[in-house]
Amino acid sequence: MSQSLPVKSIYSWVDERLGLSDIIAFAKHKTVPAHKHSFWYYWGGISLFLFLVQCVTGVLLLVYYRPGPEAFESVRQITYVMHFGWLIRSAHSWSANLFIFAIMVHMFSVFLMKAYRKPREFGWFSGMALLALATLFGFSGYLLPMDELSYFATKVGLQIPASIPWVGPFVAGILRGGPDVSEFTVERFFALHVVVIPAVFLPLLAFHLWLVQKHGNALPPSEEAKPAAQRKSIPFFPNFARKDLGMWLISLNVLAFLASVFPWQLGRQFDALASAPNGIHPEWYFMAPFEMLKVLGNILPGAAGEIAGILIFTLGIVLWLLIPFYDTSSSRGARARNAHYFGLAAIVLLIATTALGYWAVR
Amino acid sequence: MNYPFWNIPYLGSGWVIGIIAIFHVMISQFAVGGGLYLPMAERKALKEGREDWLKQLQVHSKFFLTITGVYGTVSGVGIWFAIGLTHPEATSTLIHNFVFGWAMEWAFFLVELATAAVYYYTWGKIDRKLHLTVGWVYAGASAATLIIINGILTFMLAPGDTWLSVAGTGKEASVFWHAFFNPTYWPSLFMRTAVCLALAGIWALITSSMIDGDEKPALKTTIVQWSVKWPMASFVIMPFAMIWYLFMVPSSQRALLTLGIDTIGQGTFSTVTRIVLVVIITSATIVGVAYQLGYKNPRDFNLGTAISILLLALMATGAGEYSREMLRKPFVVGQWMYSNGVRVRGPVRSVETYNRDGYLKDSMWVWGGDAATTSSYSRGEAIFRGECSSCHTMDGYRPVRQLLAGRDQQNITNFVKMLHDHKPDSPYIKYMPPMVGSDQDITDLANYLNYQVNPPGAAQQTVTRN
Repeated sequence: MSQSLPVKSIYSWVDERLGLSDIIAFAKHKTVPAHKHSFWYYWGGISLFLFLVQCVTGVLLLVYYRPGPEAFESVRQITYVMHFGWLIRSAHSWSANLFIFAIMVHMFSVFLMKAYRKPREFGWFSGMALLALATLFGFSGYLLPMDELSYFATKVGLQIPASIPWVGPFVAGILRGGPDVSEFTVERFFALHVVVIPAVFLPLLAFHLWLVQKHGNALPPSEEAKPAAQRKSIPFFPNFARKDLGMWLISLNVLAFLASVFPWQLGRQFDALASAPNGIHPEWYFMAPFEMLKVLGNILPGAAGEIAGILIFTLGIVLWLLIPFYDTSSSRGARARNAHYFGLAAIVLLIATTALGYWAVR
Repeated sequence: MNYPFWNIPYLGSGWVIGIIAIFHVMISQFAVGGGLYLPMAERKALKEGREDWLKQLQVHSKFFLTITGVYGTVSGVGIWFAIGLTHPEATSTLIHNFVFGWAMEWAFFLVELATAAVYYYTWGKIDRKLHLTVGWVYAGASAATLIIINGILTFMLAPGDTWLSVAGTGKEASVFWHAFFNPTYWPSLFMRTAVCLALAGIWALITSSMIDGDEKPALKTTIVQWSVKWPMASFVIMPFAMIWYLFMVPSSQRALLTLGIDTIGQGTFSTVTRIVLVVIITSATIVGVAYQLGYKNPRDFNLGTAISILLLALMATGAGEYSREMLRKPFVVGQWMYSNGVRVRGPVRSVETYNRDGYLKDSMWVWGGDAATTSSYSRGEAIFRGECSSCHTMDGYRPVRQLLAGRDQQNITNFVKMLHDHKPDSPYIKYMPPMVGSDQDITDLANYLNYQVNPPGAAQQTVTRN
């Protein structure tokens, strides 16, 4: 090491108390498999990075954002008056969308590489919970500017929980803080967005990361089939960490490019008495369930359609969630193949219904 | 109807130049930087007796010849077509002013093309020392093309006081060297040289990433690491060159960079600030990725990463060229010709003559005789094409229909009048040329715009309350 003396002595002072050398030695010992599907290993890290971006930009927005009746005005000031306020807001919104996109890529790659199998079941469950929370982050954050679009989209979006039989209207009422979306809703959503969801999300994320660290990266079946001598791996530190960092940098660039070139716009202030503008729809990650409910509603009119939609949708998610118990580490042949088809069908269904949804509101 | 006219819906004619030019700059700057990279690498290989390097350089020089000799030259000619159609007046100014410059450029360009071909086809066929000399000749010729074009490009941003004092007199070419060595010449040359060196390394990473690291670990390690040093070194110089450049840009132009700090409002010219941010972040990333994944991890460096770096460089180059173009607004030739080809002053096609005689009498795309007889709509359309469409489209890039949405006929007329009056307190004076023409022209343009924004027969937008 060519470090100068003071750096060395500070390092050894800290090392003696915190055991840094042990951590580095451990990280160097740890390996990551290297094969043709390795690219998909980065998506969890990319999701984590985008989450960190949201934490930083979120705290900055928190300084100027005022929930309640002044919500729109404060976002207007951030977007059109404050120096680089637009950039922080734009980066926050874009990273939120990219975050959910990255988690989805991560989830489907985990699914198709069968990384949910023993002993990684808890990684799968906690990951699914994190995705659910991420969409709630998105849903609660979307309303906060209180412009025309976010107001009406939230109204439409709340139709999904409202259509749950028996408890739906009650849940939607609690979320709204009244019969309609109003400044009370913003205050509730704000509390959810910055306190409640993070309080659940952060420990869950820690649990998820601990599991990743504990079990390491899963090998896809094609690699597992190879004899151990033929499998390649690279050290986690510094080789994989360096590539991970490279991916983070590239993600940062994509984010910076989108945030600067297509800054997140702010519409007109909402007017509860005005009619909804044309083409109101939920955010893209809610488009699929929204469209599925709509299609089923057309086939089975009335409450029956809504209930059937919710049931089918819930059943789908439950099956998706329970896949580690169906396709276990010991299963070969039919079950493994069925799980694979199930994953592909889910991807096709998701893309098709999302496209259909956008086509319908175009 | 007036023919010919040059109308690119949605994209706008400016972007036709932009797309071709960004593509061209990526390659032409590779041609200059790579011109130095090849003989320097060859010299190093000969000195250190690295035969494996020489083989790799032969592969790289084939790639180099194909990319620069085919795509570089074709896109270069493409720029001439595009600027001739989009900015005939400015193109004419550049040609007349720099006849000698273009002649030199052409001569060096011929040498460049010839030596690039000779360099590739004589690998192993001529004496090694002579081959290296061919490389150096190429490097010199390609550097000369940059040295010349840089004078012409920087002239457009800041022609300098001496040239401006004779502009429009017909004696412009007599102050050739003043125009050439204008205030931004040196910082720009410095900056572009740095970019060329960076691109030389970045393009070289493409070919060197394809070396099998397991089979030839020594070759891959040394050549990837050596290539990464090029962008690294260049990015150390770049920030200083950029600051120097901005310092030499007229302050009124420099102020354009700050318009987007506090807003993203439409029609506020805030884009340029945002694009500059892209230049900074992509450049910084290139350094980070090339160092971490290339220099520190050369054996695993793969084509995917090399292409990512190249795409980042494309983004940085594109954003950089876009910002440079925008810095010139509202002019195409600084302080002398507005971006729609109208001269600031003088006896021909200037603000003064157009305001006196009307715009259509001497417009580039209109037959003078037709102007008076056509309808107000057609006249307005012709004025829109001539005065607005070098920057705006109706529905695509900088969409006029959207920018004027919500205004009624009177409001649009007032807006056009405001652009015509071009008063010092107008917010648009910083980046938009004045609207030139007679009172009739103002009415015609406003009528045409109103027809587009509020088409007759379309229901007035009303807000229904329930």
